[in-house]
Amino acid sequence: MIDTLLSGQLLFSALVTGSLYALTALGLNLVYGTMRVLNVAHGDLVMLGAYAAFWAFTLWGISPLLAAPAVALIGAALGYAVYRGIFQRLLAAGAGHAGRIEGNSLLLFFGLSIIVQNAVALAFTPNNRAYAYLDEVVRIGSLSMTGNRIAALAIAGTTCIAVALFLRRSVIGLAMRAVIERREAAYVVGVDVDLVQLASFAIGFASAALAGVLMSMLEQFSPFSGFPFTIAGFIVIILGGLGNVMAGLLAALVLGVIETYGVALTSANLRSVLLYGCFVGALLLFPNGLFARRSVRA
Amino acid sequence: MSEPLPDRGWLLVLAVGTALMAALPFVANDYLVGTGLTLLMWVALAQSWCVLSRLTGYVSLGHVVFYGLGAYLVVVTWQLVPLPLAILGAGLLAALFALAVGLPVLRVKGPYFVILTFGLAELVKYSIMAIESASGIASRILFGTPDLVRVYFAMFALAAAAILLLSWVSRSRFGHGLRSLRENELAAETLGVPVVRYKLLAFVLSAAIPGMVGAVMALRSTYFVVGQVFDPMISITVIAMAILGGGDNAKGPLLGVIFLTALSELLWAQAPLLYMIILGLVLVVFVLLVPDGLLGMFERRHSPTAARIGPSQ
Amino acid sequence: MTALLEVCNLGRRFGGLVALSGVSFEIEAGSTVGIMGANGAGKTTLFSLIAGNLRPSSGDIRFAGSSIVGLRADQICGLGVARTFQIVMPFPALTVLENVRTGAMFGKAKLRHAAQADIVARQVLADVGLAEVADRPASTLTLSGQKRLEIARAVATGAQLVLLDEVMAGLTPVEVTQMLQTLRRLQASRGLTLLVIEHVMRALMDLCSRIIVLHHGELIAQGSPQQIGENDKVLSVYFGAHS
Repeated sequence: MIDTLLSGQLLFSALVTGSLYALTALGLNLVYGTMRVLNVAHGDLVMLGAYAAFWAFTLWGISPLLAAPAVALIGAALGYAVYRGIFQRLLAAGAGHAGRIEGNSLLLFFGLSIIVQNAVALAFTPNNRAYAYLDEVVRIGSLSMTGNRIAALAIAGTTCIAVALFLRRSVIGLAMRAVIERREAAYVVGVDVDLVQLASFAIGFASAALAGVLMSMLEQFSPFSGFPFTIAGFIVIILGGLGNVMAGLLAALVLGVIETYGVALTSANLRSVLLYGCFVGALLLFPNGLFARRSVRA
Repeated sequence: MSEPLPDRGWLLVLAVGTALMAALPFVANDYLVGTGLTLLMWVALAQSWCVLSRLTGYVSLGHVVFYGLGAYLVVVTWQLVPLPLAILGAGLLAALFALAVGLPVLRVKGPYFVILTFGLAELVKYSIMAIESASGIASRILFGTPDLVRVYFAMFALAAAAILLLSWVSRSRFGHGLRSLRENELAAETLGVPVVRYKLLAFVLSAAIPGMVGAVMALRSTYFVVGQVFDPMISITVIAMAILGGGDNAKGPLLGVIFLTALSELLWAQAPLLYMIILGLVLVVFVLLVPDGLLGMFERRHSPTAARIGPSQ
Repeated sequence: MTALLEVCNLGRRFGGLVALSGVSFEIEAGSTVGIMGANGAGKTTLFSLIAGNLRPSSGDIRFAGSSIVGLRADQICGLGVARTFQIVMPFPALTVLENVRTGAMFGKAKLRHAAQADIVARQVLADVGLAEVADRPASTLTLSGQKRLEIARAVATGAQLVLLDEVMAGLTPVEVTQMLQTLRRLQASRGLTLLVIEHVMRALMDLCSRIIVLHHGELIAQGSPQQIGENDKVLSVYFGAHS
C-alpha cells in the first residue's frame, strides 16, 4: 500500500488528471471572469470535444492528436457564435437584463446543458463510448505509463502554460486580465471590452473542447460525462481565485492529487464523494467564491 | 397573519381539483391513478420548494436531497418500524438535515447557493452509494408494500399539506419578511427582519414534506436504487415547474406542475430524451423571455397592474 | 437624564485602514444633530456601527442607557433605531406600501397583522408625500421618491432615533426645500431624534441644532452651526490653513 502511495505512478496519474482539470478550469476562468456568467454547461463542451475526437477516429481513422487542433478551432468558432448570437444580444438589451443574466444565468445554462446532453444522447445513444489509441505501455525508469497519458499531459500542460504566458505577456492578455478584475474600469481606460469578451469565449470554448479530445483517449464517456468536469472546473476557480490562471493550475493539480490519492487510499467508489466533498467545502469556506464583486444594487 | 382573503376563483379551482383528485381512485383504472399520484407528488415537491426558493430568492437546485433521504430512511427501516412512523420520521430526518446544514449553506448567496445545493445533493447521493456498496448492497427491494390506493391518499395528504403550507407562509408576516429579505437582505435586516433565523426556518419548512414524499414514493416503486431517488433531474424538474408557473404563491407552481406532467405523460413512454430536451427548453425560454411565468402572463391579461412577483392572494 | 444615544471612544478598523477612532459624543432625545465631513471621513461607517450593520473594533455605543454593541441589526432596530442608506435600497419588486409595511411589521412597533401595519404605513406615506404611489412597485419611483421611501420605511418602524444618510444627495434645490419640510413635519409629529449626515450645507445648518465634524475618522469639532462655521480646525480642513 505504502509502495503504491509513494510510487511515481500515482503521482503521474494525479498530474494527468490535474492537467485536464486545469485546462477545463482555464476556459471557465476566462468566460466567467470576463462575463460573470457561471457557465454550468462548460463540461458539456468537454463532452462534445470527446465525441468529436471519437467520431474522427472511429469513422475516419484520424488520430486524436491530429484532430485536437481542429476540434479546438471548431470550439473557438462555437464560442464566437455563442457570444455573438446570444450574449451580445442579451447585453445590448440593457442593464436590467444583465442583472437578470447573472442571477438566472445558472438556470439558463442548466437548461442549455440539459438540451445539449439529451440531444447528443438522442443522436448518438446514451451508451458509453471509448476507443483505443496509443495505449501501449511505455517505460521510463521505474514508471510504466501508457502513451496516451503522456501525450495528454504534454498537450494539456503546454496549452495551459501557453495561455498563462499569453495572459501575462500579450496586450490582449493584459486587456483580459483588466476586464476580469474590474470591467467598468477597463471600459474607461479604452479597452475594447467586446473584443476581449469575444476572445475569452473563443479561447474558453477551445480549451474545453481540447480537454475533451484528450479525455476521450483516456476514459470512456457518455453524453452525461460533462458534469464532473464542470464541477472540477468550479472547484479550481474557487480555490485558485478568479482570473488567476497560475493559481488555478496549482489548484487543479491539488485537486488531481486529492482525487487520485484519495481513491487509492479508499476505493474507486469514493471518487465522486471526494470531488463533491471538495466542491461543497470550497464553497462553504469561500461563500463569495473569492470574487466578491461590490455590485451596486438597483 | 391576515392578508386579504383568497379570491373566489382560486378557491373554486382548488375545490374542484381536490374533489377530482379525491374521487380518482374510485373511478379510474390503475394507470390513471398512477398518473394522478405522480401529479400529486410534483405538486407537493414544487409547492414546498417555493416556500424557500420563491419567497427568499435562494434558488435551491438540491431539493431532491430531502426526497432521497426520506426514501432511504423508509427503505432502511423497512419492517423494523411501523410505516406511519417511518414516513413521519422521514420528514423529520429531512428537516433535521436542513437544520444541520442550513446555517453555513445559507450564508452562500446568489448563483453560488444554486450550485452549492446541487453539489450538496450529489455529495449525499454519492456518500450513500458508497455506504451501500461498502455494505455489499447493490439495490433493495421492498416486499409487502401498501396498495396503490393507500399510497395515493398518502400523497394526496402531502400535496394538500404543501399547498396549505405555501399559502399560509405566503400570506403571513413571516412570508412578508421573507419577501423583504429576498429583495434586499441588508435593508430587511436593518428594518428589523431577523434574516438568518427566517432563512433557516424557510429552509427547514421546505424540507419536511419532500422527505415524506420520498418515503411514500419508495413504497410505490418498491425497488430502491440510490441513483434514482437522488436523481438531480428531480430537482431540475421542480425548478422548471415553478418557473413555468411563475409567481411566489401557491397558484403558480400548480400551473407548472399540471402543464409539465401532462407533457411528460405524452412523451415519456415514447421519447424520454425528447421530454428532457423540452424541459431544458422550458428553462431557457422562461428564464430569458417569460420570467413571470404562465401566472404572470395570465395576471397581465386580467389586471395589468398586478403582474409582478409580490404578495397576492 | 441620560442621553438617548451615547457613543464612547468608538473605533473601527478594516485591516490596516482606520475608519474611525476615539469618537465620543452624546445625543439628547428630541434633538437634531448633523454629521459633517469629507468623503472617507467615516460618517457612513459611524451609522453602520450604530445600526448594527458592523461591529466596533473598540469603544461602546449605548442606546437609552444600555450598550448595544454586539447586537444584530434587527435587534437594534427592535430597540428603536432606524437608518436609511446612502445608496437607496428599496425592495424593488414590492409596492411602495409593502416596502413601508416591512418597517411597521418588523421594527420597534412589531405589528403582527398586515392590516394594522398598512394603516401605519399609509399614514407615514402621507407624511412624506408618497400616498398617491402607494400601490406602485418601488422600482418605478424617481430618486426623490425613493429617498422619501427610505425615510418612510425607517420612520414606520416606530423608531425613536432615525439615522438619515445623505437624504438630500441628488435632489434639486426645490426638492431639498420640500425634504426639509417633510423632515421637520415627521420630527414634530413623532417626537423623533434625528442624526443627519449631509453634504448639502444649507440643509445641515437649517435643520440641525448641533453639528459634529469628522475628519479621517476622528471627531475634530462639535457645536452649534455658527460655532462650527467659525471653528479654526474645521475651516483649515475645508479651506486650507489660514482662511
